[in-house]
Amino acid sequence: MNDPVAFVAGMKLLGAGLAMLGAIGAGVGVGIAASGGVQAMGRNPDATPTIQTNMILGMAFAEAVAIYALAVALIIIFAA
Amino acid sequence: MIEEKTKKRVPVKRWIVIALVIAGIYAAFIGPSILKPISPVVVLPGEPTGLAIGGFQITNTILATLIADVLLLLLGIGAARFHASGKKVPSGIYNAFEAIVEFLWNSVVGAAGKWARRIFPVVATIFLLIFMANMIKLVPGFESIGKLKEVHEGTGFAPVELFKIGSLSVFTIDKGQPHEAEEHAAEGEAAAAEGGEGHSAEASTEICTACEVVPFLRGSATDLNFPFALAFIAVLMTQVYGVWAQGLGYFEKFFPVRQLVRGGPFGAINFAVGLLEVVLEFAKILSFGFRLFGNIFAGALLLSIVGALTAVVVPAGLYIFEVFFGIIQAYVFFLLATMFISGALVSHHSSEEHH
Repeated sequence: MNDPVAFVAGMKLLGAGLAMLGAIGAGVGVGIAASGGVQAMGRNPDATPTIQTNMILGMAFAEAVAIYALAVALIIIFAA
Repeated sequence: MIEEKTKKRVPVKRWIVIALVIAGIYAAFIGPSILKPISPVVVLPGEPTGLAIGGFQITNTILATLIADVLLLLLGIGAARFHASGKKVPSGIYNAFEAIVEFLWNSVVGAAGKWARRIFPVVATIFLLIFMANMIKLVPGFESIGKLKEVHEGTGFAPVELFKIGSLSVFTIDKGQPHEAEEHAAEGEAAAAEGGEGHSAEASTEICTACEVVPFLRGSATDLNFPFALAFIAVLMTQVYGVWAQGLGYFEKFFPVRQLVRGGPFGAINFAVGLLEVVLEFAKILSFGFRLFGNIFAGALLLSIVGALTAVVVPAGLYIFEVFFGIIQAYVFFLLATMFISGALVSHHSSEEHH
């Protein structure tokens, strides 16, 4: 607390780390999407192209949340 | 393909690989501090390279994008000439090119059906540009060759002259001689200001004491402008195709005025939902842009950090990972654009009535 500059810098890193908590949900979501996709492909291999496309689409949407968290973290560290 | 050659192969490549690994270990841990691998500068906006058209500064990310453009154009012209030559089976790089285009075509046909011919040029161009930009970003020399610049914050490193080409002296920066920046230095941000291995092409201007490298080329997608421009184009083209397919009735999706007038309370709710659709269009731009930017920038950051920590084997694996991610992100961008555009082709309204 004696050095306000160091304090702010440390708090920035802490905040960036906390922002990345958002990646938890995205990780779970991507995992669920992949598990569902693989199960579906195992049951019905003929439908693989359709399932794969939709799976990647769903994973991209789930991953977007993690990317937002990452963008916030990067902005906290480098821009704010 | 090369069956005859593989039989009488001499194990020369493995020795090259082992020699390179040993050279890497020497440079990273044992050798003099000039050879140490240095993490590139991590900054959000693209840095100006000094080139300018009129008053327009060309940043290093624009330069990288232009190179990707030129490569794509050459590839396209080559493919057209190949097509004109009348040969049916492509070879070499055109074979890969054909495979990519065929794959994209099948995806677009699967999503958009008979509109595929009209949609394909837009989304395939987006894919190819992102793909090419992500691939040339991984070429050595990107993000590491540039001009030396005085650091204003954090730690820079002393320049060391390597050799001269004519009147050009080439410098690298010495990681063993860190210099604090002249001005007030925030310690927490020291990592942000570290220099990359740089080769300055400046003749004999004043040399900085605490230096960082401003690279001539940086991956296009590490600048927010590139993904956001593409995202803006994709979302704009979504509206264009929507109007093309449905006429002005397309805008019923956003402003369902008829339902507001006739539908009673549910009409009012639908109108509010329509306004939310407008917000959703802008959210698409944000989501498109940040997804590509975040993935590529995080990849660059990861490579620089891991490269500074363990310089030898791990970054090679991460490079493979980066290649994979470059392809996946280009594909995801392409797929989402295709899905949004083909979603705009069918009427929101009529699909609701079918339920």
